Amino acid sequence: MNSTNRASRNLQGVLLDHWRSHAEKTPDRTAVVHWVAGEEPFRWNWNQLMGTAFRYALRLREHGVGKGDVCAIIIRHHKNFYPIYIAVSYLGALPAVLAYPNQRLHPEKFRDGLEGMARRSGLDWLLTERDLEASVRPCVSRPGSTIRGIIFPLEWSEEGETVKTFPQLKDSLPEDPCLLQHSSGTTGLQKAVILSHRAVLEHVTRYGESIDIIPEDKIVSWLPLYHDMGLIAAFYLPLTLGIPVIQIDPFEWVSAPIILMEAISMEKGTLAWLPNFAYNLMADRIHEEDLSDLRLDSVRMLINCSEPVRAESHEKFHRKFSTYGIRREVLAACYAMAETTFAATQTAPGLESRKVFVDREALAQGCVQIVEGDKGGRVCVSSGAPISGCEMRIIGEFGEVLSEGSVGEIAIRSVSLFDGYRNNPEKTEEVLKDGWYFSGDYGFLHQGEFYIIGRKKDIIIIAGNNIYPEDIEDAVSKIPEVIPGRVISFGIDDEQSGTEQVCVIAESKVENEAGKKRLRRAIQEAGMEIDVSIGRVYLAPPRWLIKSSAGKPSRNANKDRALRELVWK
Amino acid sequence: MVSDRLKKVILRQLDLDDFSIEDSTTASMVPGWDSLSHVRIIAAIEAEYGVRFKTVEVLRVRNVGDLQNLLDKKVGV
Repeated sequence: MNSTNRASRNLQGVLLDHWRSHAEKTPDRTAVVHWVAGEEPFRWNWNQLMGTAFRYALRLREHGVGKGDVCAIIIRHHKNFYPIYIAVSYLGALPAVLAYPNQRLHPEKFRDGLEGMARRSGLDWLLTERDLEASVRPCVSRPGSTIRGIIFPLEWSEEGETVKTFPQLKDSLPEDPCLLQHSSGTTGLQKAVILSHRAVLEHVTRYGESIDIIPEDKIVSWLPLYHDMGLIAAFYLPLTLGIPVIQIDPFEWVSAPIILMEAISMEKGTLAWLPNFAYNLMADRIHEEDLSDLRLDSVRMLINCSEPVRAESHEKFHRKFSTYGIRREVLAACYAMAETTFAATQTAPGLESRKVFVDREALAQGCVQIVEGDKGGRVCVSSGAPISGCEMRIIGEFGEVLSEGSVGEIAIRSVSLFDGYRNNPEKTEEVLKDGWYFSGDYGFLHQGEFYIIGRKKDIIIIAGNNIYPEDIEDAVSKIPEVIPGRVISFGIDDEQSGTEQVCVIAESKVENEAGKKRLRRAIQEAGMEIDVSIGRVYLAPPRWLIKSSAGKPSRNANKDRALRELVWK
Repeated sequence: MVSDRLKKVILRQLDLDDFSIEDSTTASMVPGWDSLSHVRIIAAIEAEYGVRFKTVEVLRVRNVGDLQNLLDKKVGV
């Protein structure tokens, strides 16, 4: 790749400088295509986008939003989301996108989560829709709330004078924070990551290089923008490099996955990031006849990220879509997390992500022994090599640096590393040591590339979202027929869907079948209230669960026992 | 009114023995009916009735009653 063709060069200053520059230099170029199924897409060019953002910024300033304020944005897929987000940045405030509550999430749980988040993250303003007012208003009025006001910017008139220049409203420095994002999770215990302009610009530059990004690229995304993958890869990266992005509603996509293919085909999309389950969902659920008029040849990279990468998911995806132009070499992967802004590794453009077969027993002992073919071996897919500005190590049980061929915890040092969790020095201290971020993921290094194979933490990852088993256990423990504290929850691989499934084992004295049936239902409903689908429930008699040395039920020991012994219902 | 046949397809996909499903029932009220299982349920209904739903039709369905109406139109009830 000739470096002069690249979209990413050394970017300096602050993010807004680059966005304003695009609006001034390429006012008519497409910035964001807002996609709604069955409708003509709405196209923001740079002049319209930044002009609208500027007008929103003036209105937000009138409401009192100022530099350094944290503005939580809870807005569904809407064409004005993008200028509202940029408007917050215009004022030197920090946008923080939060998930719009799912219908099944109990309003009280949503409010509790928001209040917890407000306390931990120091939220100053809520920018949301009128539909949520009744749910969120108590968060503001309660004594001690950090939230100063609720703003409904979608209700403001869009009319205003055409803006041709884009004056700076607030001075910002590269070291100033530019955004706040939350680690995934189900409650107000999510950790808030603050990133500076410098960190994001460093990341956009270097990550852009790692995928040979060029001005002719087009990103297509259905990813939610409260997730680092959607926010950085499919929002900050394209906006900052001036590359068009097509934004699809995540709820529409998951109901009708063909939408992504339609958008790629119609817009000639070249890049997309996807969690592993998406490969299975699209391969299994898209009908051949819906594809007959579509071509996917424009795609040059589909980057698998945010869940363990599964070789069989890539295989079935390629089998299904090769006829329509998906080439094997577009199947890429990266390893990413909010704490490093986004990607730590990336597979090389133009090459399918590598896979190796390793001896299962040796792997369980922490050793990587490559075996020929697939005889008895576990297939592991590479997430690629560290991107520029990023170093990675495999760390052993006693903190020692391990060599190639050993399994250990992955630690990362990066120019775009976060500075710590906001208002959470204890959690920061747990993971940030001497400038290295300890990821909690297990993996190994092989021929210069990293393979992620498991987690030190008990987090369950469903469709790219992290779920903490404690949240599920707390919810299930509150059911009267469940013995308090005698519940464990864990994830198991679900090969068919390409993601994990939530399992619950709960001890109960209920013995009759009708009572057990009611209890299973109650457990599933307890999951629904915190927006978690519990796939499998096992009701165990008292004292079935194995305790850890601390006297609490051990997740690992009980998961092993369950997988060996149980017939699930 | 939701037919027994449609109810059975939905419950089978969700691995539920029994659950009250009426016209006004939405996915969020039914255990296990989340965004991932939704696509599976739609595919199972298509297979059961030998029909095909368009993307926009699927996205307009707000509750089981809408789904039954859509299905009735497809099969010509």
